Amino acid sequence: MAEPTVLVVDDSPTVRKIVQMTLQREHIRVVTVGDGLSALTSVADEMPAVILLDIQLPRMDGYQICQIIRKNLQFRQIPIIMLSGKDGLFDKMRGRLAGSTEYLTKPFDSVELVQTVKKHLANWQERVPAQHEGTRHRLRYRG
Amino acid sequence: MEQQDRIMDGDLQTLGLQSILKMLALSEKTGKLFVSSGPETLSISLRKGLIVGLHEDGVPQPDVLGMLCLVNKLDPPRAQMVRELSGGDPQVALALLVERGWMSAQEMQRRLEFAVTQSISHALRWVNGHFSFHRQLVPMESRMNPLNVDSVLLEALRQADEWEEVAAAGVTQLTRTTVARWQPEVSNDVGRLGLNQEAIEVLCLSNGELTLQAISLVLMMPEARVAHVMARLLGLRLIEVVDTTLETELQQDLSNIIIKCQTTLTQQRQSSVPEQHLLGLITTLAECINGLLIHHGTYARSLRGRGHIPSMEIVRYLERRFSQPLRTLAQQQYPILETATFSYGQLDCNDILTLNKVVKGEQLEEFYWEAVQGLAAFLRIVFTELLRDEVGNSHTGRQLTVAWRIFLSEIDHEVQQYQVYRAHRNTQMARGHEPTSSPALGMVQNWNVAPDGKGDFWSPETRRRLI
Repeated sequence: MAEPTVLVVDDSPTVRKIVQMTLQREHIRVVTVGDGLSALTSVADEMPAVILLDIQLPRMDGYQICQIIRKNLQFRQIPIIMLSGKDGLFDKMRGRLAGSTEYLTKPFDSVELVQTVKKHLANWQERVPAQHEGTRHRLRYRG
Repeated sequence: MEQQDRIMDGDLQTLGLQSILKMLALSEKTGKLFVSSGPETLSISLRKGLIVGLHEDGVPQPDVLGMLCLVNKLDPPRAQMVRELSGGDPQVALALLVERGWMSAQEMQRRLEFAVTQSISHALRWVNGHFSFHRQLVPMESRMNPLNVDSVLLEALRQADEWEEVAAAGVTQLTRTTVARWQPEVSNDVGRLGLNQEAIEVLCLSNGELTLQAISLVLMMPEARVAHVMARLLGLRLIEVVDTTLETELQQDLSNIIIKCQTTLTQQRQSSVPEQHLLGLITTLAECINGLLIHHGTYARSLRGRGHIPSMEIVRYLERRFSQPLRTLAQQQYPILETATFSYGQLDCNDILTLNKVVKGEQLEEFYWEAVQGLAAFLRIVFTELLRDEVGNSHTGRQLTVAWRIFLSEIDHEVQQYQVYRAHRNTQMARGHEPTSSPALGMVQNWNVAPDGKGDFWSPETRRRLI
């Protein structure tokens, strides 16, 4: 089985780089993208074990991406950790309604980030059915 | 593990590893020998008295593929492919390399044998510990040809003796988990240093990431020998020993600072008024500088390892180190920085932040603009100095530099947006009409507030004097 991948979706190159650096230090494979549509393509191509998803994104926001992934039978099990600068109850509720698994408020602590990602990676092998390996799944966006 | 399968166990003080292995070899036993000392455990698989496999627990396993890339024996794309296929098992990885013709079978055998000898040599030096032999355990799968215990022991004992010699020479700070890196002052041209080939190879692999054990494995040079060379390089001040725990903490702390500042930058970005936008940038830059100063007060090289240091000493150190560059910037390029002072090891920009109480309109914007440029320049100086001092030209240092440059490019992007707006406004004014519409190239919306400094075309310097 290939090593688990974490997909980081954030429009800020700084956040992408820091998250990548932090997770790679823990020997976690990371793929980063900067907008919503590329995120959907990467979900299909990489079949990530965890998705770190920013809310404010160009072309399509994090809530929309979350909803699309949750509606897809093949990808709905992937844990989605929302990253946002907004820490209000309303924003968290909106994230939850869109289908996010967890919510991390920016600025997040790198130790907390690693712990959260590792928690979801722990049961990755059990979660990913063997038949998904090596296949490519395409998400259809009817925006 | 079943109790009845354990046919032998005891303390290493009673029976040493050498004797245990000899005994098992003579009686041609099949099973697995577990030897543990502290957090480390070695499991040696035997089949009919021959060593067929070895596994170490409790110590991080070196990335063999990554190391082969470092010595140009493997391409990174091939390494990545093999890494994915092998699932992180070094033996499987080597077997895959042989299968694909990227390594000869002889080299794989030599490397596996070498790794076994190194591990047994290390375990031979354990004084306290425990061992147990389980006969029913099926020896693990191995790509290695079975090894004769006597020949392995002979070489392992010789290397253990070499370690003792290194320790006797006073080199006690080096262990197999030691990580070393080049001193920041070391130039790239190692040929000029007058070192022999062995020393150059060790120097090149001392990249702040590889352990002594990993260097030994990649160069196929006994660990004791690598330690000996490292000791020489340390003496020549070409490398330094890295405290990996400290570097991890340091990287985490700097990452947190960068993320915090990026978040502040994003929040300040919402402002549609140019003055507010500039003020937001000043706040972000000042916050970032102060975050870095606090960080440096904890991790500065000259403050490390001295136990508790009085806060006033840290403050004096920071001010001594950074007040001169700030003064130089203020005198030579950005006079507005004269109003920024150091207070308790922090940059106090309160005078700049409260300029709106003294001036308004275009004048205020001019001062803010100068402050942004000055603080951005100072921020670069602080970070460069800090990184050079704390981690130097190491792997961590380079990673942080890349992340830092990306963050700076975000700040630069904000600055450029303002420059576009400013250019547009100046063009409008030169044409003789008020800049009432948004700039065509401007990416920031609603920056169409007309400047209210009527006829004020004085230079920023003149305006400052007026204040």
